[in-house]
Amino acid sequence: MTDVLLFAASTGLDQLWAARMQMALTLGVHIILACFGVGFPVLMLIAEGRYLRTGDAIWKTLARRWSKAFAVMFAVGAVSGTVLSFELGMLWPKFMGTFGAVIGLPFTLEGFAFFIEAIFAGIYFYGWDKLSPRVHLLTGLAIAVSGLASAWFVVTSNAWMNQPRGFDLINGVAVNIDPIAAMLNPATGAQTTHMIFAAYMVTGFSVAAFYAWERLRGRDMAYQRHAMALGLFLGMVFALPQFVVGDWAAKMVAQTQPVKLAAMEGQFQTEVSAPLRIGGWPNEETRRTEYALELPGMLSWLAYGDTNAKVDGLDEFPRDETPPVAVVHIAFQVMVGGGSYLAALTLWGIGCLVWKRHLPRQRLFLFALVAAGPIVVLALEAGWVVTEVGRQPWIVHGIMRTKDAVTHAPGMEKVFWITLAIYTLLTVMTIGILRLLARSPLEAAADGS
Amino acid sequence: MAPEAIILAILWGALTLYLLFGGADFGVGIWEVNTALQSTERERNLLYKAIGPVWEANHVWLIFFLVCTHAAFPRAYAALGQALWVPLLIAIVGIVFRGAAYAFRANLLGQRTQRTIWEIVFAVASTVAPFFLGAAAGAVASGKLEFNDAGEYQGDILLGWISPLAIFTGFFTVGVCAFLSAVYLLRESVNQQHDDLVKVWRRRALVTGVIMGVLSLLGVAFLAFEPESFWSDFHERSLPLFGIGIASGFAALVALWYTWPLAATIAAASTVTCVIWGWGVAQYPFLLPPNLTIKNCKTSDSVLWAMLWSIAVGMVIVVPSLWWLLAIFKGAHHDASKKSSGY
Ligand code: HDD
Ligand code: HEM
Ligand code: HEM
Repeated sequence: MTDVLLFAASTGLDQLWAARMQMALTLGVHIILACFGVGFPVLMLIAEGRYLRTGDAIWKTLARRWSKAFAVMFAVGAVSGTVLSFELGMLWPKFMGTFGAVIGLPFTLEGFAFFIEAIFAGIYFYGWDKLSPRVHLLTGLAIAVSGLASAWFVVTSNAWMNQPRGFDLINGVAVNIDPIAAMLNPATGAQTTHMIFAAYMVTGFSVAAFYAWERLRGRDMAYQRHAMALGLFLGMVFALPQFVVGDWAAKMVAQTQPVKLAAMEGQFQTEVSAPLRIGGWPNEETRRTEYALELPGMLSWLAYGDTNAKVDGLDEFPRDETPPVAVVHIAFQVMVGGGSYLAALTLWGIGCLVWKRHLPRQRLFLFALVAAGPIVVLALEAGWVVTEVGRQPWIVHGIMRTKDAVTHAPGMEKVFWITLAIYTLLTVMTIGILRLLARSPLEAAADGS
Repeated sequence: MAPEAIILAILWGALTLYLLFGGADFGVGIWEVNTALQSTERERNLLYKAIGPVWEANHVWLIFFLVCTHAAFPRAYAALGQALWVPLLIAIVGIVFRGAAYAFRANLLGQRTQRTIWEIVFAVASTVAPFFLGAAAGAVASGKLEFNDAGEYQGDILLGWISPLAIFTGFFTVGVCAFLSAVYLLRESVNQQHDDLVKVWRRRALVTGVIMGVLSLLGVAFLAFEPESFWSDFHERSLPLFGIGIASGFAALVALWYTWPLAATIAAASTVTCVIWGWGVAQYPFLLPPNLTIKNCKTSDSVLWAMLWSIAVGMVIVVPSLWWLLAIFKGAHHDASKKSSGY
C-alpha cells in the first residue's frame, strides 16, 4: 500500500510545490485571523472604555457583540495556529531540525503571550457579569497587550529567516547559538512594526467596511455609525505611518536582500539612477519590465537616499538564486497600491474632520470604504507573498534552500487538497457564523446570552 | 542539574497538565459519542458550560509542549514529524474540527439541524484527536520507531508507527479523557446542586473508572510480557510511581462511591499524573527510544538557559492568571444561582 501511495505522490504535483502551497494556504488563512486577534481587542477596549466614560449603552452593546465575534475568530485562529506549529516540523524537518532552536526562544515567548491571551480571553468572554466593570476592562487590556506581544515574537522568527543571525553553522549543525541576537536581527524592527500596523489596519478597515455596507443597505442608525467610526479611526491612525514603516522595510531589504529588492522592483539590469517602476509586467525572457510607468531616479532615491545611487539588478545574481520575478513584483505593486488607496481614504477622512468637524457623509465615501475591506486584506496577503516568495529559493536566506528542507513523506499532494477542502469549509462557516452574529437583533446581545 | 533535564521535566509537566485539563475537554466530546448524543438539553448545557471559559487556556498546554520541544530538542521534533506523520495528521484534523465545531455550535442558536451537525462533528473529533495523540505517544514509548543515529526516520512512514502498544495507548488515552471529565462533571453538578446530574455522572465516572482500572492492569501485563523491549531494564525505576497510581486509582473509586467530589478529583488527577510520569521516568534519558536521548537531541545550553529564564518569568504571570481564571469559574463556591453569561 505504501508503494501505491508513493507512486501516487511521485506523479502529479511535485513534493516541494505541494508543501509550499500547503504552507502558503495555512499561513495565509491564519494571518487574517491573527490580525483580528491583535486588532479586535483594541476595538473592544475602546468601546467598553467609552461606555464606562459616557454611560452610552451603544458602546456597551458594541463591546459585547464584538467580543462574541472575536471569540469565534480567536477559536478558529488558535486551531489554525496549532496546525502551523505541527506543520513546521512535519513539512520542513531539516529546517526545524537544524534551526528550530535558533528561533526557539521567540516561539517559547509567543507561547506564553498566547497563554496569557487565552486565559484572559476566557475571563473576558465569560466574566461580564462576574467582574466589576473596571476589572473587566483590565482583562481586555491584558488580551490586547498579549496579542501584540505574540505578533511581535512570531514575526521576529520570520525576520530571522530573512536575516539569519546568532549562530554558527558547523557541519550542518547550528552551534554557538545566541537566541537574543537571532531575535533582534536587522530585519526585526521594520518587519514587526510593519506587521503590527498592518494588523490594526486590517481590523480597523474591515470593521469600517462592514458597517459602511450596512449603512448603504439602509441600516443607518447610531449603532452602525459609532461602529464604523471606531473601526475607521483605528485604521486611519495607522494608514499614513504605515507608508513610513513600509519605506523603512524596503530600505532594509535594499541593504540586506538586494536580490529581493530587484525582484520587487522588476529591476533586471544593474543601473545607476534607477527608476521607480509602477505597475508593469516583468518579462523573464527579454529581461525587461514592460509597460511600467517609470519615475526616473526614484528607486535609487527611495532605496538609498540618493537619486544617483547604483541599484543591483537581478542579472547580478546567479540564476539559481533569484526568486520568481513576476509574482514578487506584482505582489509588491498590489501592496503599495492598496496602501496608497487606504492612505488616500484616510486623507479624505482627516480633511473632512479638520474642515467640517465630522467624518465624510457622502455615499461615495461609504462605497469607497466598503472596498477598503477586501483591499486591506489583499495588501496584507500581497505583503507576505513579497516577503516569502521574494526570499526564494531560500528558506533561510543564503543558508538553506527550501528544496533541501522539505519532507519526504508521501502523499503531500493529497494532504494539500484535503487541507484546501477543510479550510474552505471552515472559512465559509466562520463567515456564516459572523454574519449570523451580526444579524442577531441588537437587544439580544444585552442579556449576554 | 543539566538544563536539558529541567526542560524535560517542564515538558512532562506541560504534558500532564494538557492531559488533566485539555484531556477532560476532549472527554466531554467523548461522552457525547458514547451516549450517541442522547443527553438531554440540560445535561449538554452543563457539558458545554463547564468547558467554556477554560477551553482556550487548556488548549495552550499542547501548544506550549510543542514549541518547547521544537526549541529545546529540535532534532527530536523533526524526527517526530516524520515518524508520526500519519497519526499526527489525523490528530491535527481532529483538533481543527473540534475547535472550530465548538465555536460554531455555540453560536448556532436558532439553527437546530446545523447545530446538531456541528455537535456530531465536535463529538467525533474529540474522540479521534486523543486517540491518535495517544497512539503517537504509544508509538514513541514502544521504542520501535526506526531512527538512525542522526535522528532520521528510517521506517515506513505510513505504517511504521503502528504497534500493539500504540493502539493500546490510543484507547487508553480516550478512556483517561472520558474518566477525567466524568469526575470533573460530577464535581460541577454537585457544586451547582443538580441532583439528577450528580447521579448520572457518579455512575459514569464509576463505570469508566473500573474499566480503566482493568485496562491499566492489562497494560502492565502487556509491558511485562513484551519480549525484551529495549527499556525493560528501566521499568523498576517507575514501580513506586505505578504503585502510587494504583493506590490513588482505588482512592478515586472509593471517593466516587461516596460522592466526595473534591477527593475524587484529586485522586483521579493523581492517578493520571502517576501514569504519565511513570512512563517518563521509565524511558529517561531517552526522548525517542531506542537511540535519541535528551543528550544527543538537545540544543546549545545558551538556548536552554534562555528558555528556562523565560519560562520562569512567564510562569510568574501565567500561574496566577490561570489560578484566577479557575477561581472565577471553577471555584467550589461560585454562585450557582447567578446566571452565567456563557452559553
Ligand atoms: C495592511 C497591509 C499593508 C500595507 C498597506 C503595506 N504593507 Fe508592506 N507588508 C505588509 C502589509 C502591508 C505585511 C503583510 O504585513 C508584510 C509582510 C511581511 C511583513 O513583515 O509585513 C509586508 C512586507 C513589506 C515588505 C517586505 C519586507 C521583507 O521582505 O522583509 C516591504 C518592502 C513593504 N512591505 C513595503 C511597503 C510599502 C512601501 C508600503 C507603502 C504603501 C506598504 N508596504 C504597505
Ligand atoms: C512567522 C511567520 C512565518 C513563518 C515562520 C513562515 C515560514 C514559512 C516557511 C517555512 C515556508 C516554506 C519555505 C519557503 O518557501 O521558503 C513558507 C513559505 C511561504 N509562506 Fe511563509 N511564513 C510566515 C508567514 C507567512 C504568512 C503570514 C504568509 C501569508 C500569506 C506566508 C506566505 C507564504 C508563501 C506564499 C510561501 C510559499 C513561498 C514559495 O514557496 O514560493 N508566510 N513560509
Ligand atoms: C495575536 C495574534 C495571533 C494569534 C492569536 C495567533 C495564534 C497562534 C497559535 C495559537 C499558534 C500555535 C501556538 C504557537 O506557536 O505559539 C500560532 C502559531 C503560529 N503563528 Fe500565529 N497567532 C497570532 C499572530 C501571528 C502572526 C502575526 C503571524 C505571522 C506573521 C503568525 C504566524 C504563526 C506561525 C508561523 C505559527 C507557527 C509557529 C510555531 O510553530 O510555533 N501568527 N499562532
